[in-house]
Amino acid sequence: MTVELPAELSAQITTFVARLRVRHGFLVGPGEAADALRAAGVVDVLSKRQLRDALRAVLIAQPEQTRIFDHEFNTFFRAEGGLAPPELPPLLPETEAPGAEQETETTPRKQQDGEGQAPAPAPPTPGEEPELTTVKAQPDSESNDDPDDSDGDLQTIQTRLSPNAGTGGEVRSEDGDLRELLRAATALIRAVQLGRSRRLRPMTRGPKLDARRTLRAAARTAGDPALLRWLGRPRRSPRFLLVLDGSRSMGRDAALLLRFAHALSLRTRRVEVYAFSTGLRRLTPYLRQARPGQPLTLPDLGEAWGGGTRIGENLLQLARHERERVNRDTLILILSDGLDTGEPDILERAMRELKARAGRVVWLSPLAALPGYQPVQRAIQAALPYLDALLPAGGMEDLQRLGRRIAQRRE
Amino acid sequence: MTSPVDLTDPAALQAAFRAQGYVAGDALATALRLVPALQKPLLLEGPAGVGKTEAAKTLAAALGTRLIRLQCYEGLDAQAALYEWNYARQLLYLRSAEISGGRVDDGELYGERFLMARPLLQAIQQDVAPVLLIDEIDRADDAFEAFLLELLAEWQITVPELGTIPARTRPHTILTSNRSRELSDALRRRCLYHWVEYPTARQELEIVQARLPGIDAALARQITDAVHALRQLPLGKPPGVAETLDWAASLLYLHRGHLDADSIEATLGAVLKLREDQLLAAPTLRGVAGRAEAG
Repeated sequence: MTVELPAELSAQITTFVARLRVRHGFLVGPGEAADALRAAGVVDVLSKRQLRDALRAVLIAQPEQTRIFDHEFNTFFRAEGGLAPPELPPLLPETEAPGAEQETETTPRKQQDGEGQAPAPAPPTPGEEPELTTVKAQPDSESNDDPDDSDGDLQTIQTRLSPNAGTGGEVRSEDGDLRELLRAATALIRAVQLGRSRRLRPMTRGPKLDARRTLRAAARTAGDPALLRWLGRPRRSPRFLLVLDGSRSMGRDAALLLRFAHALSLRTRRVEVYAFSTGLRRLTPYLRQARPGQPLTLPDLGEAWGGGTRIGENLLQLARHERERVNRDTLILILSDGLDTGEPDILERAMRELKARAGRVVWLSPLAALPGYQPVQRAIQAALPYLDALLPAGGMEDLQRLGRRIAQRRE
Repeated sequence: MTSPVDLTDPAALQAAFRAQGYVAGDALATALRLVPALQKPLLLEGPAGVGKTEAAKTLAAALGTRLIRLQCYEGLDAQAALYEWNYARQLLYLRSAEISGGRVDDGELYGERFLMARPLLQAIQQDVAPVLLIDEIDRADDAFEAFLLELLAEWQITVPELGTIPARTRPHTILTSNRSRELSDALRRRCLYHWVEYPTARQELEIVQARLPGIDAALARQITDAVHALRQLPLGKPPGVAETLDWAASLLYLHRGHLDADSIEATLGAVLKLREDQLLAAPTLRGVAGRAEAG
């Protein structure tokens, strides 16, 4: 059924697939490239429209990608009749869709910017940030939010933890403080109970007979179902995903919430923590390392801490690259004052994607704790339609009420 | 492949679909042709009532093959989707073996005669590749989706007591989703993808005429124009193609020649199914009726 493609067209299709992946973050690899070639063999490649329809069916996976795909296809296979001009330079700035450009180049540009904007790794001056100081380390812009890199970082932490290490970036959780945080964490976990799963699991006691296992047992008792086995519906336990704004304006509140996240991770394993300032960084491995009651030590967070704020880009990165961590059992807690320097429409797109996947999205703002607060910050305005709740986070009291407030908003 | 439709010819598939009363756009026709050619499942997404399920049914009719349908719901598990043992018969078999004093062989107790095939197992056991419709996959949960991956990638089903059952033929698989939940990337990657949009006014007119051959051309145009005007409104439940056809059928049944205010009032429930939508659409519909009475 398939026809041999001209070598030139095969090479073009392969380049085109790579282009979609590199520029627009399409999840397409060698398998999809091979399918694209096979699909092109099925249709009439001299008809540009048929070729486009076939490649589109193979290469896109989301309705939002349609527009980007069509645009890229039209610029790439520009010539009438199907075959493209022999060689197109891989990067033509003027051919890029304005919306698409932002998406694709977020990561690389952010890294460049981060190198420029992140605070120079100067030795921290004690007293400047009493709650949290960052350890001086080699600037490792490569290892951002890459969980596989945590080995290297763990070594760094271990060196920092040794008593001979110099100034350490520590978030101290004082005595008593931890106990209160644990109480708040327990209240939160209780408040977001998700009820029971619809899926049946074997249980010692349950509402439904497990015929399969009962029969297995009956085979041993001469066909007499003497031992009954049961199925039941297990409880669904919630997942938490905390995203902390670590920008300069947030220092104290972010540190408090970081300790809260630590307390939460002592109560349930299903906690993920990210911090962002200009860049995004996964903190979960460090929280797992920390022992209760001991000071919480973090390595140099680079562009994830103490810089400016780029809420939209970082949340979009979270929604795109860490999407497997978000499902319908996930409660996303975003801590930020909403004082953002980025574009609100990027934030809106990020919030829409997160909301589509998550069970609930709650925004915590320290500003919301102030009397007479109005949600007028641009970022909050953009995010508001996608939030289940916008709650104050001014201090320990607000954290302790967090669970009850979220439970109230559910109805 | 011995199918009545020549799948290498795009026009032939569209013609076969039209013969079944389904007007398929070029992009959808191409995507459907790739399903047997690449032997990959096709994921159809789009608003409710644009004919996603119907596309699978029509494909089966056009190919002259069986349609096997699996309707998804939350909590759908392997027993309902793949296979189940016939426990009652197994128990009887055990008891009768006990009475006659024979030994019970495990291989016999878990033999094929006690196995009840559910849609997915049925689909891979056919001699002629059927069309397998996995409908509203977004209603099933993540766990079911993950478990579907094995079937869609390997085309085999493992029954612990029996071993692995490979597919005799690979079914032409169509998955549909209304996006009530975001599907996993893993599932999306294994599928071809096509977004089914509402038809254009012209396509919809063709659909109405293909489905209801007796309808007056002017009435059909008034109906499709009205539905298009309604879809521009911020309705809670915008009318799909199914609603358009219902509406046209109701008007036909009531012997209404054109869409005047009286006819609209009598048949509005066929097209707008929320009280709020009916109130919201009232001014638009008055305009439609005015134009119908004038023209």
